[in-house]
Amino acid sequence: MSWLNLARLNALVLFAVFCVLVLSSISRARRGGSLFIRRIAGLNAIDEAVGRATELGKKVLYVPGIMSIDENQTIASLAVLGHVARMTARYQTEIDVPNKDPLTFVAARETVKEAYMQEGRPDLYNDSLVHYVTYDQFAYTAAVSGKMVRERPAANFLIGSFYAESLLLAETGQSTGAIQIAGTAEVAQLPFFVCACDYTLIGEELYAAGAYLSREPAQLGSIKGQDITKAIVGMYIVVATGLLLAGSTFLKRILTIQ
Amino acid sequence: MRFLRLQLPLFLTALAGSIPIVAFFWSPNGTIVQTTKDWLEKYMVIIASFALLLGVINVVQTNVKKIERRQAGWHYGLFLLAGLVGMGTCGILGAIQVGPFQGIGFRPDGSRTPFQWGAEFIFNPLQATMFSLLAFFMASAAFRAFRARNVEATILLIAAAVVMVGRIPLGESILGGRPYLAHFTDWLMNWPNAAAQRGIIIGAALGAASLSLRVIVGIERSFLGIDKSE
Amino acid sequence: MDRIVRWLDLLVHLDRRWIFILIALGTALPILFPIGFKVSITPSAQALYDKIESLEPEDVVMVSFDYGPSTAPENDPMADAVLRHCFSHGVKVVVLALFPIGGVTMADQSLARVLHDYPGIKYGTDYVNLGYKSGGQATMKQMGEEIHNVFPVDRYGKPLAEIPLMQRVHAYRDVKLAVSMATGIIGEWWANLVNAQFGIPVACGCTAVSAPKYYAFLQSGQMIGILGGLKGASEYEKLLTRGYPATAPIYARPGLYTAIKGMDAQTIDHSIILLFIILGNLAFFLGRMNNRRKAS
Repeated sequence: MSWLNLARLNALVLFAVFCVLVLSSISRARRGGSLFIRRIAGLNAIDEAVGRATELGKKVLYVPGIMSIDENQTIASLAVLGHVARMTARYQTEIDVPNKDPLTFVAARETVKEAYMQEGRPDLYNDSLVHYVTYDQFAYTAAVSGKMVRERPAANFLIGSFYAESLLLAETGQSTGAIQIAGTAEVAQLPFFVCACDYTLIGEELYAAGAYLSREPAQLGSIKGQDITKAIVGMYIVVATGLLLAGSTFLKRILTIQ
Repeated sequence: MRFLRLQLPLFLTALAGSIPIVAFFWSPNGTIVQTTKDWLEKYMVIIASFALLLGVINVVQTNVKKIERRQAGWHYGLFLLAGLVGMGTCGILGAIQVGPFQGIGFRPDGSRTPFQWGAEFIFNPLQATMFSLLAFFMASAAFRAFRARNVEATILLIAAAVVMVGRIPLGESILGGRPYLAHFTDWLMNWPNAAAQRGIIIGAALGAASLSLRVIVGIERSFLGIDKSE
Repeated sequence: MDRIVRWLDLLVHLDRRWIFILIALGTALPILFPIGFKVSITPSAQALYDKIESLEPEDVVMVSFDYGPSTAPENDPMADAVLRHCFSHGVKVVVLALFPIGGVTMADQSLARVLHDYPGIKYGTDYVNLGYKSGGQATMKQMGEEIHNVFPVDRYGKPLAEIPLMQRVHAYRDVKLAVSMATGIIGEWWANLVNAQFGIPVACGCTAVSAPKYYAFLQSGQMIGILGGLKGASEYEKLLTRGYPATAPIYARPGLYTAIKGMDAQTIDHSIILLFIILGNLAFFLGRMNNRRKAS
């Protein structure tokens, strides 16, 4: 087994267990049976937010984060963007998606275009709905903040990977009176979103958004597999802590990854 | 058409997603896999550069249209285009060393090239200005959000107040010069805060892993703009 | 009671621009007229100081400038303090930048500020500036194998093989400590990648916003010290002036921005925010009591 990095054998086993749990949950979900997923207030509020924008005759602003498409949070954000775009197409509400990363811009454009096609409203779509701003973090923040203050969208979605600009965007949006739904897995930015936004998707709620909104059995099955893994991790932490307190480092050593 | 729109993108996604995973578990002596992973990372930078070109074209088109139609905020578009053309020209001419544009940093004699001048005296102060807005927004957000409406909000309020006081010399002055509050703040950051952060990080990491698996096996297709029914 | 509640109610609905004005004054005035609040030392800053103190004169410290101009007010003082400590203690320094927008400029400026007071420090033997390299984690991983492949030339175009200090520094194994002055995620990469895979001690000087995240790394031992925000920088400056009294005149120089001076502004600002929070909560509770009184 000279091709295998034996120092990471423990990681490979864990990875295999995780894959088996998730894929078997997906397979079971596809075979039938409903899967319970708890209520996520932020995702349920999407309807309310888009509806508010429609009633007020104002636009929906969607910021898909500042990182590139190789970031998981951006992929999760695009799943939510597709759902929001379908709603704006259905209700004939304007959507505005400014982008910081060029690859995300391209993917977001395809997502929104496809959403409008699916709703049977290609006439409402035009390329200016999804546009590129700049690659610089604070220049992008300045541009989006200016857009919020001048154009006063009724609903702001701040979903994806954010860094220092999170509070700047959230607080500016709050000052304009827009309903704000935020979501990120960046732990350092979560407090700012929680303080300044109406709804916040915390960590894994963002990653579950695609499954939650689509209600596809396969996607819900993967959430179940993930939850089983989390339960195992929780039990391991408790047992390993107990063993450590008793003086045994066995569990700690076998799961130390090089 | 279906092959180009659906099957090929899904195959490429699965391949690109699997290579770093295989490389992680492959022997460090296995050069082919490691080299493939390194190439993949480099190609991503190259693809991003082409996408950046697309973005720049979009920026120019959007803002020229805005200026032509005198839409709301059209004068900001003028500034944007001026900056784009100005710095872009300095950068490109500096890179190909034309005339006074010798490079994009400092010249050998220590003087600044136009690009360096723009970066140091226009770009850097503007960046610092935007970041400094955080101080003001944090104050207004704290004033609005830290109200003891319920138990959780009260805990948040107390923790925030303790950390804010503990982080400044005032915390010591209150206790007659004794650093107890600073040490308690450090304890708060080292233990309860670290524990809570780890909980969120573990949950988010598992969520990201599950999403990645969904993307690699082709269940999650939203980023390709493909309908679930396809 | 009604009058008090009315006044406090005005406060609750205060235009946020009044808060902005007070914060602006609270920031500007202490910088123009320093107060000199005392700074206390926390274990996380002490740990980094002790680590550098424990190094021998020929040991090498790698200082990575992983921040840009936007966080310079927080990161510059800590970078300067760490460099001054290294030069005062006699350890050798390898400087590099991994942050794409402005990292290398920050490194250049920091070295220029610090070296002004260390005329005896020689480039090439006491310190080297490798400049900026793109690639993030891939670059950091390759440095574990051979730095000369990642940086064939230094910041000024000189081949690394011709630089005396770099002739004995080829990879992380030749370095005793890596200190990342970081904003964002790059500090985590040093802990997760460099410390985890190559085993060298890593410390981080980070912005205050990122500090809560990095405490988890300190707890697990992946980092040996943290300088969290301006407070962390001020602690390190105090440790430096205490351990090396010759640096005290540098920090007392008028016109030089230091973290200890910046802490005056931070103290006033925090106090203003706390005052508004207390008054806001008072208004909230009194208003609620008044409403209940009226209802009953």
